Amino acid sequence: MNPILAGIALAVVAGTVVAVSSRDARTTILGLAVVLIGSPVLADPIPAPLGLATRIVGAILAAYLLWVVARDRPGAGVPSAVTGASRIGWPAESLVAAAAFVVGFAAHGLGAPALGSPLASAAGFAVAALAMPATLTGRDVLRVGLGSVLLVDAALLVRAALGGTPDELEQLIASGTLVVLAGTLATLAGSARADGTGGFGFSLEGRTRRHREPDAHPSDAI
Amino acid sequence: MSLLPFLLVTGLGAIATLMLRDRQRAATRVGVVALIAAVVTGLLIRPSQVIEIGTGGIATTDYLRLFLVLGALVALLLAVVGEATGSRRDAPAVALGILATSALALSLPDPGVAVLAATAGGAFGALVALAPVGGRVGATVGARVLRATAVASTMAIAATAWFGRDLSQLAAQPIVFGLAYLAFALAVAIRFGAIPAHTWAARLTEAVPETTLPLVTALAPAALAIVALAWADASVAPLALDLGSVRVVVLAVAIASIVLASIAAWIQEDIEHVVGYAIVGDAGVVMLAIAALDPAAWAPARTWILSFVVARSAFAAWAAATRATFGTGRITELRGWAVRAPVLAVVLALVVVASIGLPGLAAAEARGALVGLVLDGPLAAAVLLGTLSPLLYYGRLFFFGIERPGRTPRVPWRPVISGIDLTHLRGWLARTWSDNRLVTATGSAALLAVLALVVSAGAFGSPQAAAGLPPTIGISVESFAPGEPLPPEGSDAPSAAPPDATPDGSPSASSAPTAPSQEPSGSPSFEAVPTT
Repeated sequence: MNPILAGIALAVVAGTVVAVSSRDARTTILGLAVVLIGSPVLADPIPAPLGLATRIVGAILAAYLLWVVARDRPGAGVPSAVTGASRIGWPAESLVAAAAFVVGFAAHGLGAPALGSPLASAAGFAVAALAMPATLTGRDVLRVGLGSVLLVDAALLVRAALGGTPDELEQLIASGTLVVLAGTLATLAGSARADGTGGFGFSLEGRTRRHREPDAHPSDAI
Repeated sequence: MSLLPFLLVTGLGAIATLMLRDRQRAATRVGVVALIAAVVTGLLIRPSQVIEIGTGGIATTDYLRLFLVLGALVALLLAVVGEATGSRRDAPAVALGILATSALALSLPDPGVAVLAATAGGAFGALVALAPVGGRVGATVGARVLRATAVASTMAIAATAWFGRDLSQLAAQPIVFGLAYLAFALAVAIRFGAIPAHTWAARLTEAVPETTLPLVTALAPAALAIVALAWADASVAPLALDLGSVRVVVLAVAIASIVLASIAAWIQEDIEHVVGYAIVGDAGVVMLAIAALDPAAWAPARTWILSFVVARSAFAAWAAATRATFGTGRITELRGWAVRAPVLAVVLALVVVASIGLPGLAAAEARGALVGLVLDGPLAAAVLLGTLSPLLYYGRLFFFGIERPGRTPRVPWRPVISGIDLTHLRGWLARTWSDNRLVTATGSAALLAVLALVVSAGAFGSPQAAAGLPPTIGISVESFAPGEPLPPEGSDAPSAAPPDATPDGSPSASSAPTAPSQEPSGSPSFEAVPTT
């Protein structure tokens, strides 16, 4: 086993733990950045430089888009915002990640020879195990969105583990997809944060069924 | 490569429109101009062209061109209706983003990579939920869309990854193939908002204008559905496994969506809910195609998808125009709408014919063929009857529409155009636009309805394009121009391997297409090693 790859795999998992555990929005985005930058490296053989560079630039751009939304802007009157942290705390999240890491490593190939690194499989399982609760049970826009980005990244890791190192075109498309996901999340999170003092929290109105009033559309502008 | 201008126009147009979103007028103008350019560049796409990038690449097909041209045209008309009736500022940007990602998804030969592009399209769709005021509600609904997209994407990526390698040494039960197939099928169901995964789509319906709904729940998932069909026919169907139990689940989703969505639409009080559930019901037919696991479903499924996208967009445009005309979307408050606005009645009648279809229309034949492929006996007849269940809610709409409106006057439908003021042309244009918003909305909806009927009838060579092979690198595979080689007769499947081949589960996307077999092989194409 390549020790450098093992170190990167651990960094990816640690980044995920930070991303789903912290209440500080900027810290969670830092964790996400570590995951997105480390994920494409977890391949055997190492991806071609151009493809790798594409993913890393895309990861930095994705993190930056989210950073813009999460940073404090006291001058603009936007209050500091926190995101919903893990309900079980980072130690428990770490244990969940460790268990999933072992499962992913042991189940590498899922019953058939795989073309990629078992470390990618392990990291993919760990990231997915932590991302799933955040995605499905999150109560704020940023947490659900971060979970969604992590979930897709986990799927990409498992794909690299099963199918081998992605080619340059796949790296380019994957990078673009992650940037679009992060950009959409940044737009949604920014919109939520700019509306009132609730930070990134969900609106109660959007969570349940509602009847639209006749004048709900701006048809009066006609 | 003729696809590049389309990708540039839609991709850069989406980015530019989003960057201008704080300046609504400028963003709308840029978006509409980019959509017009998308129609033009879509028409310039030439089939059977390839760009090789590394070991992969992108390729164009007739179906790709038709899908993109119709998609761009539909998006343009929806944008015009939306602008005339007062819509969200991000709708053109979302449409452009979905078109760009759909172009990629349908031109990538590798389904695993195409899924990623389709995922980006779904993510773009979340932006339509945002409103200039009350951003938190929109963001909440948008986050649900993003979540559904991510979950579906993860399932689809995992499914394609499972098949994308040599599985001849598989040490697991064949049911894992079924699970991979089920994962991708359910991913498509989630993206369409098919029942029972319809909650996010229902919330979206309540939060966005009608004109944006088909972009998110029809156009964007349609690209993923086409990728799923290609993947299933190339990777799963040739294995000739007994996946009956798994197919039952997919079939249940399809039938539930077809029948229950129509009932749900029938009992709704708001026309936007009717539109939302109508889309879900038609998506059920797409799920039928995925449940078929038969190469013969390839052509009718893709024919139906084209018709479905255009017809449901026309229905949404009608709903938006009706709401703007009468100031309400409550069906009970729309009594006499057809009498007061006969043009809108004609538009809805066209939509009914396009979506229900008359015998002989390509869409109706495709739907019937799909039902016949998946089911037989009384159940097939029942489901076929179920596909006509939209008549329930159409009938209800017309029932309220033909009630006597009392002394309420008819809605004027002629355009109001004053003399051109050459000294202040800009002001004259603004005034003319403002005076004719309703006429513009109704006219655009009528155009969409006519387009829907034409596509439903099989115009533009849609059945032939739908029967073509998926994009392939290395050989010109899809051309129906005179004098060029046609696909093998009777081959409307994308990739099925010849009977004497030994499929190993790896996708045949990058290999040259072979004549598909109409008959599945009688035995599994791999040896399962029992696990202990």
